[in-house]
Amino acid sequence: MSLNYQAVLWNRQKKIYDGLIVLGVVLYLGMFVGVGSLVRPQTTIETLLIRGFGTLALALLHVILSIGPLCRLDRRFLPLLYNRRHLGVTMFLCGLFHGVFAIVQFHALGNVNPLVSVLSSNTDLSSLSAFPFQPLGLAALGILFLMAATSHDFWLANLGAPIWKSLHMLVYVAYGLLVLHVVLGVLQAETNSVLTLILAVGFVWIVSLHLLAGFGEIAGDRELTAAGSDRFIRACAVDEIREKRARIVCLAGERVAIFRYDGKVSAVSNVCQHQNGPLGEGKIVDGCITCPWHGYQYAPESGASPPPFTEKVPTFNVRVKAGEVWIDPHPNPPGTRTEPAPIEGDASNG
Amino acid sequence: MSEQMAGWVVAALALYTAVGVVFAIPFVVRGVNRLDPVARESSWGFRVAIFPGAVAFWPLLLKRWLSGQTAPGERNAHRNAARLTR
Repeated sequence: MSLNYQAVLWNRQKKIYDGLIVLGVVLYLGMFVGVGSLVRPQTTIETLLIRGFGTLALALLHVILSIGPLCRLDRRFLPLLYNRRHLGVTMFLCGLFHGVFAIVQFHALGNVNPLVSVLSSNTDLSSLSAFPFQPLGLAALGILFLMAATSHDFWLANLGAPIWKSLHMLVYVAYGLLVLHVVLGVLQAETNSVLTLILAVGFVWIVSLHLLAGFGEIAGDRELTAAGSDRFIRACAVDEIREKRARIVCLAGERVAIFRYDGKVSAVSNVCQHQNGPLGEGKIVDGCITCPWHGYQYAPESGASPPPFTEKVPTFNVRVKAGEVWIDPHPNPPGTRTEPAPIEGDASNG
Repeated sequence: MSEQMAGWVVAALALYTAVGVVFAIPFVVRGVNRLDPVARESSWGFRVAIFPGAVAFWPLLLKRWLSGQTAPGERNAHRNAARLTR
């Protein structure tokens, strides 16, 4: 959280995270080029770098795509999510180096503009071995550029979270294009089936992980409905909510996070104003709901960030009756203070 | 894709990027302050970081800059419902 924009809001965790990324990149490239030049001494350093950056970008993309569903399945992966955008920019830069080196090596030595050569060198759509795989990689690189270029919070605020998220969901299109780029490109000339196997395992891993996490999400997204004439709807039993944690229910077309803390219950919209993070998967720290993604905070009673910050989320009126939480399905405007519902018989209440 | 068509695509992309670069320089220096008040006190590192995005999204940013629009409000089902019912 910040009152003005910085290039990067550095802190100790981010420095460690980025240090590990740089170390990993250097080690991978060093090993790829070192081992590659020993195993295939006839291969040039340029070719090894092209392949090293390409495989690293694809491997990083697999890691990036795994982080979201892994966090849904097991909260211990959340620290990986915290600075995922730096991993994304690193992946784009690796892809860019791969693309630039490949264009220089394979398309820059003739009379034709190198980019024109990339788009027009292969034109046989009916042939696997002569399929124009280069434009697929170029299109994927274009998507990854747009994502890296809009990774700063300024773009989130100025494009709006729904548009920003839609833009960044194009990563799945980029992944599909890159899988085709590899299958129709390097794998057509490769006699060793290990690369094909690695790519297939990676693809199955990504699809399975997303399906697994997706099925878990669907189960919790059943919209609550009113049981009687009362405007309030039964949401859950108080005992189902752990202290300083939330129970998430679906209401009014979106998820609601019902928090239990200090003998009280409050409910806010589950959608963090920053990147739409899942507030209900966070916890109450220093009296504030703390988003598990990037630590944005909101008071549970008002849904407003503590001053001087200005983020706000909608709140919901709640009641506790006979050990059950009842919730008004009509959200209050963002930042509206609501009275927390006291839990009868809770020792920490009052 | 034929070489002629590829030539047209690359030329169009080059033109779009060139206009974007010409636009992005004054935008990151001055325009961004008008579009988003939070940017007024922001660092030069931030302005460099948003430069590539300003090149890519110059038509949208130019439209907002000229019309004096600021950042769009957040919208989702709860926020929309809160607006309608109050």
